[in-house]
Parts: sequence; C-alpha cells; structure tokens
Amino acid sequence: MGLEVDIIFKIAGVGIVVAFLHTILDQVGKKEYAQWVTLFGFIYILFMVASIVDELFQKIKSVFLFQG
Amino acid sequence: MLKIIGAVFIIVATTWTGFEASRHLTERPRQLRQLKSALQSLEAEIMYGHTPLHEAARRLASQLSKPISWFFESFSKKLTNSETTVKDAWEESLQEVWKLTALKQGEYEIMKQFGETLGRHDRFSQQKQIRLALTHLEREEADAYDKQSRYEKMMKSLGFLSGLLLVILLM
Repeated sequence: MGLEVDIIFKIAGVGIVVAFLHTILDQVGKKEYAQWVTLFGFIYILFMVASIVDELFQKIKSVFLFQG
Repeated sequence: MLKIIGAVFIIVATTWTGFEASRHLTERPRQLRQLKSALQSLEAEIMYGHTPLHEAARRLASQLSKPISWFFESFSKKLTNSETTVKDAWEESLQEVWKLTALKQGEYEIMKQFGETLGRHDRFSQQKQIRLALTHLEREEADAYDKQSRYEKMMKSLGFLSGLLLVILLM
C-alpha cells in the first residue's frame, strides 16, 4: 500500500509544478512553450498510470485465469 | 537521507541558475545607461574640454563604475603605450572587455561602428557621430528594459520550478 500512496503524491506533485510552469509561461506570453510543458507532463503521467493499470490487469488475469 | 541531500543540491543549483540569468537581465539596462553617460561625457570632453583622446578615456575610466571603466582604461592604455590607430585600439579593448559585461551583440556593433569614426573628423562631425551612437544605444536600452520587465521574474520562478520538477521525476 505504501507504494501506491507514494505514486499518488508524485502525480500530484508533477501536476502542481506543471500547472505553475504553465501559468508563468502563459503570463510572459510564451504560450507555445506552456503548451509543450503541459503536454510532456501529461504524457509522463499517462505512462506512469498505464504501467500501474497494466500491473492491475496482470493481477486480475492471474486471479481469474489461474496463470503465472 | 542521501536522497534528500541530493534533492536539495539539485534545487539549489537550478534556483541559482535562474537567479543568475535574471541578474544578467537586470545588469544589461544598467550597463547600457552607463555606456550612454560615458559617451555623453566623452562628447563634453571633446567639445568643451578639447581633451586629447587618451586623456579623456583615462578620465572617463576613473569616473565610471566597474565593467565599463575597464574598457576605457584599456583603451587609454593602448593609446598611450602602443603604436596603434584609434580604431584598432578601440576594437581590441571592446573585444577584451565585452565578455565581462552583460551587453549583447547589438551594442557591440554600435560601439564598433562608432569607434571607426572616432578621431577622424573635426569636432562637430565627431559630435554628430556621438549623437548617432547615443540614439542607437537608447533604442537598445528601451529593448533591454522591455526584456527585463518581461523575463526577470519568469527566470527566477522557472529555475526553482524546473528544479522541483526534476526532483519529483527522479524520486
């Protein structure tokens, strides 16, 4: 359980920092950089979540299909 | 424990980088202002004081503060000690000192072009050339102010936030 809480905090931290970066870059008129930063943050978190969901599916498979 | 120390190091380093970049942005208009007042003093020395160029440069070097005064100091030394033309001495001193200032390529070109006219005309044409260089420098100064007000805060927060992001990603 400790691992999952850690990952949730990590996602929250990345979200907050990326949101700040977006606001600051937006304020000085660098809209294109702001969008890139947000996009990369989103992709990074998407990968992280995808790997966790993959773990979940493996576990479900192993429970119901009696494999591995 | 080791992780926390590393995280602190990363944040300190990136924050420092951000502050250094923003300091560079604040230095540029200040040094441009100094350069402008230096040219104005040079004009006064030439027009009203009839001072020889190496003498005028030495006086300017003692009047001004650090990075710009080095330039006039080396210029005056080159004029007194070696057998060069004014143009060469001016250009060499510019190249020597320029890396130590926060000034950019645009100002360098303006000063170089001004140096090519220095000491080749009578007083009144010289005054006109100084006025021309001053106008160009004023334009650069307005540009520098604009950049400072826009990017100074951004650099500071960008440094800190990118450090924080790096720490979170590496955790």
